Amino acid sequence: MSRQLFEGIKVLELGTMVGVPYSGKLFADYGAEVVKIEPPEGDPSRLEGPFLNDIPDKEASALFLHLNTSKRSITCDLFSSAGRDIARTLIEQHDIVIENFPPGTLDSLGLGFQTFAKEKPDLVLGSLTPFGQTGPWKDFKGSELILQAMAGPMHINGHSSREPIKLGGNLAHYHAGLALTYACALARLRVERGGSGEHIDQSVYEAQAGFRDRRTPGLTAASYSGKSSKRGGLSSRVASGPRPASDGYANIFAGASKHVPEFLRLIGRPDLAEQPDAEKPFTQMGEQFIEELEGAYGIWLIERTKREAVAATQAIGILGGAVLTIEDLLNDPHYQEREVWETVDHPVTGSMRYPGRHFVTSGATRQQMNRAPLLGEHTVEILSSIGYSNSDLVQLRRAQVI
Amino acid sequence: MLPLDGVKVAAVTVVWAGPHCTQVLAEWGAEVIRVEPIDAIQPYSRGAERIATKEQVIVSVKNGLTLSAYPDYDPGQEPWNRNPGFNSHSRNKKSMACNIMTPEGKMAFLKLIKEVDVLVENNVPTTIEKAGITYDTLKEINPRLIMLRMPAYGLSGPYKGYRAFGTHVEAMIGHHYIRGYPDGTPDETGEAFTADAFAGLLGATAITAALRYRDTTGEGQQIEMPLAEGFLPNLGEFILDFEMNNRVAGPQGNTHHSHAPHGVFPTSGDDQWIAIDVSEDEEWFSLCEVLGADTLASDTRFHTQLSRFQNRDFLHDELNKYTIKHQKFNLFVELQQSGVCAGPVTDDVELLESPQLIDRGFFEELESPVIGKHRYPGIMTKWVGTPNSIRTPPPRLGEHTEEIYKQLLGYSDEEYNKLLEEGHVGDRYPDHLLPDFLKTSK
Repeated sequence: MSRQLFEGIKVLELGTMVGVPYSGKLFADYGAEVVKIEPPEGDPSRLEGPFLNDIPDKEASALFLHLNTSKRSITCDLFSSAGRDIARTLIEQHDIVIENFPPGTLDSLGLGFQTFAKEKPDLVLGSLTPFGQTGPWKDFKGSELILQAMAGPMHINGHSSREPIKLGGNLAHYHAGLALTYACALARLRVERGGSGEHIDQSVYEAQAGFRDRRTPGLTAASYSGKSSKRGGLSSRVASGPRPASDGYANIFAGASKHVPEFLRLIGRPDLAEQPDAEKPFTQMGEQFIEELEGAYGIWLIERTKREAVAATQAIGILGGAVLTIEDLLNDPHYQEREVWETVDHPVTGSMRYPGRHFVTSGATRQQMNRAPLLGEHTVEILSSIGYSNSDLVQLRRAQVI
Repeated sequence: MLPLDGVKVAAVTVVWAGPHCTQVLAEWGAEVIRVEPIDAIQPYSRGAERIATKEQVIVSVKNGLTLSAYPDYDPGQEPWNRNPGFNSHSRNKKSMACNIMTPEGKMAFLKLIKEVDVLVENNVPTTIEKAGITYDTLKEINPRLIMLRMPAYGLSGPYKGYRAFGTHVEAMIGHHYIRGYPDGTPDETGEAFTADAFAGLLGATAITAALRYRDTTGEGQQIEMPLAEGFLPNLGEFILDFEMNNRVAGPQGNTHHSHAPHGVFPTSGDDQWIAIDVSEDEEWFSLCEVLGADTLASDTRFHTQLSRFQNRDFLHDELNKYTIKHQKFNLFVELQQSGVCAGPVTDDVELLESPQLIDRGFFEELESPVIGKHRYPGIMTKWVGTPNSIRTPPPRLGEHTEEIYKQLLGYSDEEYNKLLEEGHVGDRYPDHLLPDFLKTSK
């Protein structure tokens, strides 16, 4: 039977920027029907860019185009009573609603979980906020930078002699959006197996604190020892972490692995391989030995390309990877051979390669990803389907509700 | 009722990605059985491949490498049961001694496959092939099986056989390059095994969807979830920027394309920082007021978002002079109460004391005879109508072996005792695999 993983699920997205739209995208790309309600001026990510030719354009923002594939868009001002009526009707017709308004907003609009508890006990409502629906900080502001700083990996990223830095991009919000997706998928599974609906309270802050990047092991270690992990850089380990190769950097776990003797023979220092330090963990190697190992490795690496060095060390079982740029990545034969890029056409930007599927399934199918919707592209189609007449639409448009 | 109540999961997992996936499955009701050898050391699992002494642990922790920080720095007699990396993910799980590479272990494993709904593994692809437990063979035994495989780069392609931790995947997927200082080099950045965490959570999401698919079709399936490909969506805006504008994103540091100030600023104390992210003009003036920076507030170079952004280097230098006089937590609360988006850079010890996390009951205390009583990071998602908490502490190596072999797999006492005598099952590694200070027969 040919089915997509999320086929048959109807998701209503009241989300902006990264977290909730990423969640909606995961549902949409794997077969759910996703309707995105945008404010009349559009999801603010339409103004984030980067833009085609760096010219701001609501239909040419890379962030928006990436995060909203395979969805339909309707504009609707939820802060008007006519808009709330539309939203209420749409919520009643969907299985999962995902939103990122500040805590209490949906309730104040008469669109909260309790509103639907009686008529629609199987509703799954997924709410994403910076700090959660409850607690002393629930109304505090949180952006990507702030949340990475407060509960994320920032205290350990960067050099010990410099300021901490965030990890590039919007990782905290992608991760929280993913956590929200998992929770909503679980709750929907429970509904389909005869259980009740659910209101999910996902905070970016808790997703960061529960993030298995290094946070949960770090918190556990801190709980055991009273000490925190520190910023030291990957290179604080012997012959490990990114080091210069002839064409960039290679990140090879050489000196910290258990293959140090083989590694020393590979880089032309069989003499060092015979020394007792070669068998020891890097924390117990002598200074002189470390210096010679590092020196020999540095010379060997700089004479090779990053990919050559990684291939040679992988061949003797050492973990590692070449530090690729985005350009390297898009041209890399591995990802091309595995067809991870999906070419999607768009009326404003033209055809581009997008990051496509995240995983491959042997049973379920996956359709070609569709481009992100233009602002309000499906407003008429969706409103007509729930009984609004042409003259209703004219009035709503005149009142700037849609 | 938890959504995965009644779902049984077998886990042949190492390092972080696979164990994280089964962690979040277990948290929502699944019964997760770790399949682990006791007659060989499973690499990067319980930290048993190189067991540090107490003295070595103290040195490592002092250098900020806390991942080997046993409770009270003491490895004890069973360090593999006291490893913080392992214990941070393994709550709610069971441990079954079984080496899939031996005939006896493989027989038990195949019996287990008949009984479970899901198998999760994240080994190098060739390991699973060598063990002969690929999906094609297992589906013959259990057609309803959902098998999640989480290789670093995939079950095909030039990098199929490559070994990697999350940090190496992040190099090979283009993220390491963009996570550094804009004026620095990639070797100055830290390790964050983000790819492990993403693939784990994505894998659990895919399994949930596959259970739903199985409810409809009656069919199991294989899900191939490479760490590299799970990380791809995080890079969407950078990839499309290259596609649109041929621009190769450089290291991003704490920069933002339009906000200023946007970054971290020193506060009182050693290596203490507050992150500040100002977009609106109103926030800027509130920030100046809280900091007592009248001079900055009246400086017309900083009056609009655009002018602040254009003068951001100078602006950041000026702000440093004010933030340094404040304590980061006090300043954070004061700024947020004035509507400014700000937050302290928080280390592990400080995060354990977060009033918000404590108020929401995020941390949970677990007690085990070999570990003692400690607080742990809890469940990252709250369900308003379904309170949830950790059910059992991290399992000791082989803790549930007898129960699983006899009750679930149907081994007789006699059969089980034979496995025990021959060293296939048990709850401790044999002396020849251990350093001298842990050998039982000294």
